[in-house]
Amino acid sequence: MERHVKLSRFPRAGSVVAVGALALTLAACGSDPEADTGSGGSTDSGETSSLSGELSGGGASSQEAAMEAWRAGFQTANPDATVNYDPVGSGGGRTGFGDGSYAFAGSDAALEDDEMAAAEAQCGEGGVIEFPGYVSPVAVAFNLPGIDTLNMKPDVIAGIFTGEITAWDDEAIAADNPDADLPSTDITVVHRSDESGTTENFQEYLAAAAPDAWTYDVSGVWPVKGFESAQGTSGVVSAVEAGEGSITYADASQVGQLGTVAVGVGDEFVPYSAEAAAEVVAQSPRTEGTADSVYSIDLKRDLPGTYPIVLVSYSLACGTYADESTAELVKGFMTYLVSEEGQQAAADTAGSAPLSADIREAVLPSIEAISAG
Amino acid sequence: MSATAPATDTAESTARTRALLTTPDTRRRRTDRTMQVLIWAAFVLAMTPLVSLVWTVLSNGAARMSMDFLTLSMRNIFGGDPSGGIYHAIMGTLVITGVAALISVPVGILTAIYLVEYGKGALARAVTFFIDVMTGIPSIVAGLFAISLFTLILGPAVRMGIIGAVALSVLMIPVVVRSCEEMLKLVPNDLREASYALGVPKWLTIVKVVLRTSVAGLTTGVLLAVARVIGETAPLLVTVGVTDSINVNPTDGRMMTLPVFIYRQYMQGTATCPGGESATCVPDIAMQSAWGAALVLIVMVLALNLVGRLVNRWFAPTLR
Repeated sequence: MERHVKLSRFPRAGSVVAVGALALTLAACGSDPEADTGSGGSTDSGETSSLSGELSGGGASSQEAAMEAWRAGFQTANPDATVNYDPVGSGGGRTGFGDGSYAFAGSDAALEDDEMAAAEAQCGEGGVIEFPGYVSPVAVAFNLPGIDTLNMKPDVIAGIFTGEITAWDDEAIAADNPDADLPSTDITVVHRSDESGTTENFQEYLAAAAPDAWTYDVSGVWPVKGFESAQGTSGVVSAVEAGEGSITYADASQVGQLGTVAVGVGDEFVPYSAEAAAEVVAQSPRTEGTADSVYSIDLKRDLPGTYPIVLVSYSLACGTYADESTAELVKGFMTYLVSEEGQQAAADTAGSAPLSADIREAVLPSIEAISAG
Repeated sequence: MSATAPATDTAESTARTRALLTTPDTRRRRTDRTMQVLIWAAFVLAMTPLVSLVWTVLSNGAARMSMDFLTLSMRNIFGGDPSGGIYHAIMGTLVITGVAALISVPVGILTAIYLVEYGKGALARAVTFFIDVMTGIPSIVAGLFAISLFTLILGPAVRMGIIGAVALSVLMIPVVVRSCEEMLKLVPNDLREASYALGVPKWLTIVKVVLRTSVAGLTTGVLLAVARVIGETAPLLVTVGVTDSINVNPTDGRMMTLPVFIYRQYMQGTATCPGGESATCVPDIAMQSAWGAALVLIVMVLALNLVGRLVNRWFAPTLR
């Protein structure tokens, strides 16, 4: 029997060397990007502090774009600190905050009583800090040559977006715009083809302000069939720019040169502006019977002089944390989040309306009191 | 009469045979053709999605490839900023999959050895049964198992690479056991008996004869199991979390992996660029990055399979 099993040894050594070399090459050449390559300049704070460690939060996906700007700004100022945010949704954020999975959280709704109890139990004696850190306005934008602004009551807006009102010279529109020279063009409604927080936000407004005219269930997907649709905010905006007589809803910062609707609030009409959007949050009454550190509001869609189509998203943090480094990180991060600089970074990236100075002053003391204990 | 009859018979049968061989039997030919067409159609049908997938990923992902994309992380990169890359995700995938392999390969191979060489009776049948059951576990269940195990011990906020590795190894072990079992069964019994005949103990026979003979198959099985879990998203999403920064330590903090990165980028949708599209702001950058990362992941799986083939060739016992 001359046949026998022969094992070749050389290739085995060769393959080990090859794999090792590959791993070394990969491990050696990667890095974090330089701090100044990506942030667009708006996040350079000039000062770098010595906070370090890893901080993880989670919650509302609506805040994600703003949260990216905040994290980048904070991480640029504190190169050794890392902040993570899981956009798991508001409910997941509140639950995770309550059971201690997240050191901070974002939520499109204020904490309910039972959630507050769980969060307080988790946070200990420092209590829960809650404030509307992210306010996102939505504009109703249209393309009619020569017309920059139109007055519309909530019912009229709902009528257009359900397909009840089909022409620009419809009496319902003309009644509120006696001076405008309305064409007889058909109205082309453009909506988001993808699931989107803007869509949900806009529908929430319609459901709250025009409950008789808007009877659809509120969701992230546009419910009315038969309209034109486009992908993403930039998609709907360019579709409206291209089509005379079309109308859409979009992140207010993105509508560019399009005409915007002055939304009927009570008896007057309020055109979109970041100030008017921030004002609805500033003027809506603060929820009563809560701790000093909790600044939640009852959003009113009918306050005179305010722009009502906004999404208010809350930031949650604890007053005390078990260990020193987490407390310092949360304190630093939340301070940056409410700062003028942080709010402006969010406005640039996500088109949010910056917090009013009143709210900032109301919440800053609780943030500064964050400690370990 | 009696002399001509056989001759006629022979002539007749020859003619019949000739007729059979030369005239086409339409029914058989038709069946043959039909089956041929069906098989080709099935082949084309199976290839279409594969080719289409590879082409789609290539055409969408190739544009995003650059040195920066492969060697930078996404730390401090947001909005439509086209800089940054997937280095953190590549390293996370390599580390987590590596640790998962480290856990499941010894367990898997030793289980396979037990089943083939030692296992008898009820215990072996039970192990086989549970391996079969484990093969069918949905990956998210493995993820939930791992995260509940670790959160019980380390508190609810814990997210580490090693938890993901444990989840992946739950998925990997049955695959490794299954393929290695088949490979060990292929080792001819003659070899074992020859070894015993020389007075070699059983354990030494297994180490020196059985494992050496089947090493190529074992390696291929392991690599296929790795390729099977490297694309898992759901268990890693719940166990490892997401991060933008590089972390290569599986026992400390969150890590990013390629499948999770792809998912996250896809979910991000279009970015808003206040000044319109420009060199520093690309609205659909998240989608481009997702395609780019998908391409890298496919290339990694392909490379793994190629390494498997090569190892197979190098290690295969040469008979001479």
